[in-house]
Amino acid sequence: MSESHGSESTQHLPVIEKAAESELGQSASAADYKPLPVLEETDDAEGRFWSARRVPAGILALLVVAGAGLLLYDVVAVRADRPAMHWRRSLAHELAERPLDDTWVLVGAGVATALGVWLLVLAATPGLRDVLPMRRAHADVRAGLHRGAAAMVLRDRAMEVSGVRSVRVRVGRRKVDVRAVSHFRELDDVRADLDATLADGIRGLGLARRPALSVHVARPGRKG
Amino acid sequence: MSRMLRIVNRVLLGLAGLLLVVFGGSALAIGLGANPPSWWIHDGRHDVLLSDADRARWRDDGWWWPTVIAVLAVAVLLGLWWLTAVLRRRRLAEVLVDTGDGEGALLRGRALEGVLAGEAGALDGVERAQVSLTGRRTVPEARVQLLLEPHADPGDALHRMTTEALAHARDSAGLATLPAEVRLRGVKHGAERVN
Repeated sequence: MSESHGSESTQHLPVIEKAAESELGQSASAADYKPLPVLEETDDAEGRFWSARRVPAGILALLVVAGAGLLLYDVVAVRADRPAMHWRRSLAHELAERPLDDTWVLVGAGVATALGVWLLVLAATPGLRDVLPMRRAHADVRAGLHRGAAAMVLRDRAMEVSGVRSVRVRVGRRKVDVRAVSHFRELDDVRADLDATLADGIRGLGLARRPALSVHVARPGRKG
Repeated sequence: MSRMLRIVNRVLLGLAGLLLVVFGGSALAIGLGANPPSWWIHDGRHDVLLSDADRARWRDDGWWWPTVIAVLAVAVLLGLWWLTAVLRRRRLAEVLVDTGDGEGALLRGRALEGVLAGEAGALDGVERAQVSLTGRRTVPEARVQLLLEPHADPGDALHRMTTEALAHARDSAGLATLPAEVRLRGVKHGAERVN
């Protein structure tokens, strides 16, 4: 609601700009103008993709089935007047012999605790860190872009900037890190061009949450 | 369904983690010299994990062995159910198409998947597409994997996917909505100048 009021009141300002810009870049301004309303509505609504955690769940299920099955078999066998399996007797013996400050008990307890913490982390975190949620343009379609694909798109954009000889793009969850090597033109000019091109490229990725951009440009010989 | 499985997986993983942390952590803490409260199962660093007396406490009671066997059997059955649920890839066999004359027709899920994947793969900027249908036959859901061509714009590709392939599939199957989850990957390619 407040948004529509705001756009009404600011409508007077762009009129001047539009008149001046109309011959220059109509398509660019139109392309800029259209996605904005959608973007602002759903910017915070788009959540992460949550992994189903199939692999750890499968492993745990297998362990539960194997452990409970083996114990069940042995308990029933003993009930049917057959001797208990060797591992069960020795396990009971060890459990009853070793005090808590025994090294192996401590190691086992440490491993169990670490494993437990890891399982809790698996249960509580979304996972799928490789998938960046995209802005929702249509109510029924949820989309995610893999980080590698985003990096490749941005690299292709960066290579179009004149003066860039090679470029390495790393897309993180919150930050895009670009390291370019430039063999001609002023470094500041190249950086400014890269900044503009990549900012536009990041906007074009259609991500729900735009990552920050950091650009480094260097001469070929110099490291860093 | 996959949503349900996700919740079950996470709850059970969390439960297992909690048990491990509580018992492993307490054994570790007591073993390293912490003082346990009087009601805890271990009462000092020289106590053992499970003494013979603890193990045999209820052995002579009539209910003990049947209870142990029942609990283990339930654990095995639930574990088997969980394992099959995790392993099974649930795909929709058929989609119910409302033909408008009160009858209805069945569309094979594989056919709709194939059409969707074919149309998505032919879109500008998409090299290959994989589609699988989940959900129920009256309200199917699509899971789509798109492989983007070099120099394709992800936003545009998604827009085309939504307005063309998914919209066509939805309309031709006579569905009110076709919720979809789309994941976009890129084809690996070298860095070269296009112009």
